[in-house]
Order: sequence, then structure tokens, then C-alpha cells
Amino acid sequence: MEKREKGERIPSMFLEVLEAIYRLEQEGASVSPARLGKRLGLGEAQTMERVLGLQGMGLVETLISGLVLLTAEGERIAVGLIRKHRLIERFLYDVLGLPWDQVHGEAHSLTPVVSDQVGDRLARFLEDPKTCPHGNPIPSTEGALHAEAAVPLHRLNQGKAGVILRIEKEEPALLKYLATLGLLPETKVEVEEVAPFGGPILIRVGGSRYALGRKVASKIFVKEA
Amino acid sequence: MELGCHSGIKRWKERLPVTFALAGNPNVGKSSVFNWLTGMGVMTANYPGKTVEVNLATTHFRDQEIGVMDLPGTYALGSTSEDQWVARQALLDAQPDAILVIVDATNLERNLYLPLQLLDMGLPLVIALNLVDEALRNGLRIDHVRLAKFLGVPVVPTVAIRGQGLDRLVEMGLQAARVGLTRASTPRYGRDIEEALEELADLLVKEEVLLPWGLPPRAIAILLLEEDEEVLAWTRALPEGERILAKVREVASGIAERHGEPTPFRIARERHGLAGAIGAQVETRVSVPSKTQDRLWRLTTSPTTGFPLLALALAGLFAFLFYIGDFLSNVMSGLWGASLSPVIRFVIQLAFGQGIVSKTLLWGFDAGINAALSVGIPYVLTFYLILSVLEDTGYLNSVAFLTDPFMHKLGLHGRAAIPLVAGAGCNVPAIMGTRVLATMRERILASTLVCLMPCSARTAVIAGAVSKYVGWGPAVLIYVIVAGIGFLSGWGLNRILPGRSTGLVMEMFPFRVPSFPKMLRRTWYRFKDFLFVATPIVLIGSFILGLIYETGFLWVFTVPLQPVVEGWLGLPAVAGLTLIFAVLRKELALQLLVALAVAKYGSGVTDLLQFMDKGQIFTYALVNTLYIPCIATIAVLAKELGWRRALLISASTILLALLAGGIVHRLLIL
Repeated sequence: MEKREKGERIPSMFLEVLEAIYRLEQEGASVSPARLGKRLGLGEAQTMERVLGLQGMGLVETLISGLVLLTAEGERIAVGLIRKHRLIERFLYDVLGLPWDQVHGEAHSLTPVVSDQVGDRLARFLEDPKTCPHGNPIPSTEGALHAEAAVPLHRLNQGKAGVILRIEKEEPALLKYLATLGLLPETKVEVEEVAPFGGPILIRVGGSRYALGRKVASKIFVKEA
Repeated sequence: MELGCHSGIKRWKERLPVTFALAGNPNVGKSSVFNWLTGMGVMTANYPGKTVEVNLATTHFRDQEIGVMDLPGTYALGSTSEDQWVARQALLDAQPDAILVIVDATNLERNLYLPLQLLDMGLPLVIALNLVDEALRNGLRIDHVRLAKFLGVPVVPTVAIRGQGLDRLVEMGLQAARVGLTRASTPRYGRDIEEALEELADLLVKEEVLLPWGLPPRAIAILLLEEDEEVLAWTRALPEGERILAKVREVASGIAERHGEPTPFRIARERHGLAGAIGAQVETRVSVPSKTQDRLWRLTTSPTTGFPLLALALAGLFAFLFYIGDFLSNVMSGLWGASLSPVIRFVIQLAFGQGIVSKTLLWGFDAGINAALSVGIPYVLTFYLILSVLEDTGYLNSVAFLTDPFMHKLGLHGRAAIPLVAGAGCNVPAIMGTRVLATMRERILASTLVCLMPCSARTAVIAGAVSKYVGWGPAVLIYVIVAGIGFLSGWGLNRILPGRSTGLVMEMFPFRVPSFPKMLRRTWYRFKDFLFVATPIVLIGSFILGLIYETGFLWVFTVPLQPVVEGWLGLPAVAGLTLIFAVLRKELALQLLVALAVAKYGSGVTDLLQFMDKGQIFTYALVNTLYIPCIATIAVLAKELGWRRALLISASTILLALLAGGIVHRLLIL
């Protein structure tokens, strides 16, 4: 519930930036302040100011190269925003009958003021639509939004293989350590054993076997191969 | 012997004509190479605030004196984890003339990452392609000549455990040390990365900055792109720093944009890619890989077979410990009683007559040595032998895997299982072994639990007193009680200590048939410390106790202990005194008790039941098991965690022991 309160306390000008970063990430682009500014229609100084604000809230990270990354929390909030945005679009289009080309702009200004609770009611009222009027997927309440079905590594069944799609960016040190072991996106991993009682999983990567605790495995998202 | 931080390593290097560093992934046979090369006289070097040590030693090879530095086993040389940081810092401080990189031929791709990174840093390498025999058994032949050509450095196939190829390795090392890098054998990455590196290296040259650690500009450039924190800090402190960093940002964001991932990960990916490509080109599969490894993993980690096996292994461990330990104990004390003991008695009585001096000396030289032979040595020796079997076969990995969820309840993860099991041998190396854990929080938790783990000395007391005089059932009960207390303490501490536990990421090493000589050597190294540190303490303790016994002071000293020992624990006050002496060495408690029996009833009489009943023996062993392990443990706790924490842990174990002992005593009376 904490994330919801956090989401509500963030001023809308920051929410807009979060959403834009998320969308850029989804489009496969690396998010530089210049590109972000262009997307938001803001100057570089103004964009940087907001990015730094978000960084202060622990929602984004900036790399030495200047690129901006969402933290896991930032990503959750951004996904929540996109969910509301697309639900509102659906509502405006299906129920109120607003023209297709106007719903995006209207929804854009409504999203920051609609609480998550209202969003959930809206979803129920619309009978949980899967896509927005533009055909984009609407994320679920858990915030899973990936065109490809990403499952955390420990959910893979024993004996199944998967390809790493992404690794949550909460702990940079862990990320770097995993990278030295060759656990990077696009790497194929095989689950050999899933220990019971929330125990670790035994995976095989190339010629090596590693034991990963559940907590670590839950941060690695894979696509079943 | 210990050396201080980096200045120590520098001095070490300066007084030697040639120095080698040994680098490699964990568990690839690096320590076999080190032991084979150096033998005795190993020194360790510490960096302040770091717990991972670097081993230093010298060797002679055809009249050439060579210094060998054994770096901690790591997968890479970043600055993120402590072992990697120490390995890299030691390498940069010592600037050895050649680095011998030990790579595992059975897992070449992953193992090549480290040498590629070392080549990136422009360091002179020789590669030891170790475990070639095992690779061949797995159906993998590696063309080492081609590998050498690809990497641009010498490659020597070795079987370190048998010393094969190591002469040649040293020869090549000396040659590399003489000529340095023969050609620019740095790895080549994708074009954009190479261009970025060149651009940065050119800038560093143009700005005429003095590069740290004598590294070439390309090495610094790649570390900058990898966002290495230390190199970034070094750059920031430069007057030209901002200009350089601006350039880094520019080229890094270019690479990141093109590949859609941050530059450090791109470089890691390309390095893995390169390692994989080289591996694929030098490996030939000559036969189908054996399925034995897979079967063994399945057997030892799958819950249906793994847990029963674990229970069996632990039961076997303790049974072996009790039976073999008991057997050795009887043999040794029998031999002592039949051969040397009468001689010593005769000599001492001849020299000093029948007086107090003679009797006191007999306490030490007869009863004391007898006690060491029958209580301490047999059990500790046996345990170390079992531990090295568990380690060398790779079974400890499966233990870590299976115990991970339970360790989580204690705020730890599976890796902590290894020091905990080692703690059953001796707490001192076990506490040092908690260094495999990443955070101070985990280390405090694990060290506290290790202290509650009955070490072989305490097991010796349990075996020698409880299972011998009371029965094996009560002996097992002591372990159950201690395990319960340990679990509750860990669970409680996990709630009290601030912070969260980190996750488990651990390589599962392949199962190996252990090498018997290596096991014996390792057992001996560990046992040696115990023998040379413990035995004198046992003898001195025996002398002192003998002196105060013979002079009649013993009964005076027991008076202040009476309220606690007799009143609360229901033990004879003299037993309380031996418990206090046992802080020197835990098994001393029983040895002194036995020595008291011998002194009282004459040689051969070692029956405790003559002055304690079964309940008292039980309480005695329980209290002895729970309270602060021993002086050496307190010292190592203080070294690893600081004095305040060491004293806190020690004090709480005393309280726990008194509490448990008192309660058990009252329950037994009922």
C-alpha cells in the first residue's frame, strides 16, 4: 500500500516525467536527458531539474554517462500511471463517446488526479479491458506490463529454460556481480532444480551452475523458451 | 605472520628479484598451485577494513628466488565486492612481474573472462590451463596452442593437484617476467567500443595526466567506461577531471544509445562473448559428456533425495566422529599409558623425588599430555579429515543449497552453512570463514551462531563425558538443546539487528573425486594450528591446576564459585573451576576433570562417575558447550567484528549457558 501513497504524493509534473521515461524505455531507447526533454517539450535545464527531483525521491537513477534509468519503485509508479491513463482513455471512448483522436490528450490531463482506487473501480466498471482504444496493453494491478510475458526466474518450472529479458535495477552491485557471471539480458538459463520451502533455485548458464536465492531469482525476469 | 596494508605488499615485492601473482576463479585449483610452489612460510597481508587476505610466500626455482602472491579467487576484478577489490588492489600495489592465471579447462568460457579483463589492464600473463585431465574425462579436448595464439600469451596445460605442468608454468612465468608483454595482446571488442577506448586513451595522453598504478591509457579508458568507482574518483580529483569525464559521458552515452543498454553491461557482454567465441574455437568435443555430474546434482539437491542424504551425511559425520575419535582416543591414551607415561613418571620422580614439585610436573607432563592425547587431538583430527572430504568432493555446496531457506529464517543464506559446518570443527577458522558473507550484519549473525556451534573440542567433551558415562541418547539431546537455542538466538537476532539480509548467489562447483594427499595436507595444515596453539595451553593449564591442587589452594579458589556452581548449577565447585580454565581451550574442561580424577585416584582411573553423577555430567557438558567458546574465539571475534561486539557475544553466551544449565539442573532434580 505504501507505493500507492507515494504515487499520490508525487506532484503531477514529476509523474509526467516518470511516464515519459517509462515509455521511452519501453520503446527500446536509452533515455538521455536531451531525448527526454524533447519528448516532454521541455528545455534541458528544466528536464534535469525534474530528473534530479525524481532521483531525490529514489524513483530514477542517473548513470555516469548521463542516461536516466527508472528504479524498481519508479517503474511500479510509472506502470500504475499508464494503467490509469489507458483505462481513462477506454472510458472516454467507450462510455462517453469522445472521438478517438481526442482521448489521449484528455486522459493525459486527467491521469494525475485520478487515484489508484478510482482507477481500479474504473477497470471493474469497464470489465477489465485488455487494451486501450489505441490497442496498447493495459497493465494489471500488479503492474506487469510487458508485451512479452516476463516471469520471474523462480516461477519457471524445473527443467524449463528461459531467456533473461531484464533484471530489476534495485541493487546496482548485484547487477554488476551477475554481469560478471554472464547473467545478462538475452542470456539463456536453464532451471535444474527449485528447492522447496522458498529455497533457492539451481540454474545452469553455459557450462556453469549457480544457486540463486529466491529473492535474487525474483528480480530476474525471463521469457520461457 | 601478518603484513600491514599495501606498503607491506610493496616492501615484500621490493626485496624479491621476481614476483608472480596467482589469479583465478574460485575452486579452480589455485591453492594447489600455490601449495605446490611454496610449501611452508606463508605470510598474509591485510588491507585495513577488509577481511579478505592475500597470501605471500617465496619459492626457489633453479636457484632463482621467486615471490608468489596468492590472490583471493574471483570471477572478475571490479571494485564492487570485497574479494575482487582486494585482489585488484594487491595486484596494483605489488605490480608483479607476471600473473599466472589459473583457468578451469572444464569450464573455459566463464573462466576466460578474468584473463581477458587482466589483458585489458595491460598486465603480463601466463595461463595455466588446469584440470585438463578432468576436461578430457568429460570428453573435452582443448587446443592450448590455439588458445595461446588467440590470447597472445603463453598457455600451459596443468594438473595442479599432481604438480603436472607446473615447472613449465614457472618457466613461462619467468620468461614473461623477463620480456614483459611480447605484443599488444589486448582483447578487441566491437568497433564502437574500440573507437571509444581509443578516443579516451588519446585524450588521457593529450592531457598528459600521470596515470595511476602504472596502467596504460587503454586500461584506464576501459575502467572509466566500466564506471569503475575508484578510477572515477581518481579522475574527479584531477584538475583535468571534468574534461575527461565529459568525454567519458559523451562516448558512453553513444555506446549505450546504440546498444540499448548501459556501457558497463555492454562491455561485460562483449567480454563474455569474446570468451565464449575463443572457447568455442579451441574446444573439441571428443566424446559425449558424462551424465554423472547431472545425476549427482539431482540426487543431492532434489528435495526427495537431498534431505534424506543430508540427514544421512550429518549422522554419518557424527557417528564417524564419535567412533573413530573414540577409537583413536583409546589407542593413543593406551599407547601413552603403556610406553611414555611410566618413563616420564620415573624420570620426574628420580629428579624431584616425591614432593610437590614432582607431583605438579606430573600433572602437566603425564596427566596433561594424556588428556590432550585422549580428548582433544583425536576428535579434532577426525573432524578436520571429514570436513576436507565434504569440501573436496563438493558436497558442501549441496548443503548450502538445501539449507538456504532455513538460513533465511536466521537472516542468512545458504553460503553461511559452510562456516557453520566448519564451526563444528573449530570456531576460529569458521568465524574467519564468515568472510564469504557480504554484509557486516550477516557476519555478526553467522559469527554468533558459529559460537553456539559445538566445535570438535566441545564435541570431545560431550563424547568423552556424556556419551561415555551417561549414554548416547543424552549426548544427542545436548545437540538438540544447543541447536534449539542456536535457532532461537539467530531468529531473535535477525529481528533485533537493523537491516535486511541479501540474497544467495553461489557457484555450484562440480563434484570431484577428492585427492587423498591433498585432503591429508589440508587436514594437517588445520590441525597443525590446533596442535601448536592448543597443546601448550593445555600443558600450562595442567601445571597451574596441578600446582594449586597440590598446594591445597584449589579448594580456596572454589569458594567464591560455590553459589553459582553448586547452588545454581548443582555441580561440584571444582568442576566450576575447570569450566573457567576451559576458556583457554574447551576440551581442557574435561581434560582437567580427568586429570583431577587421575591425580586423586591414580593413573588408569579416569572414571568421572566417581565424583559426579549422570545428571551433573549432563549439565556440565551443556554449560561447557554453550558458554564463550574459548580465548582464541574471542580474539578472532574481536579481530573480525571489533572488541565491543566480541565481548557482547561472549557475555550473552555466558548468560545463555548459566540460564540453560540452571534450568536443566532443576528439571533433572524433578
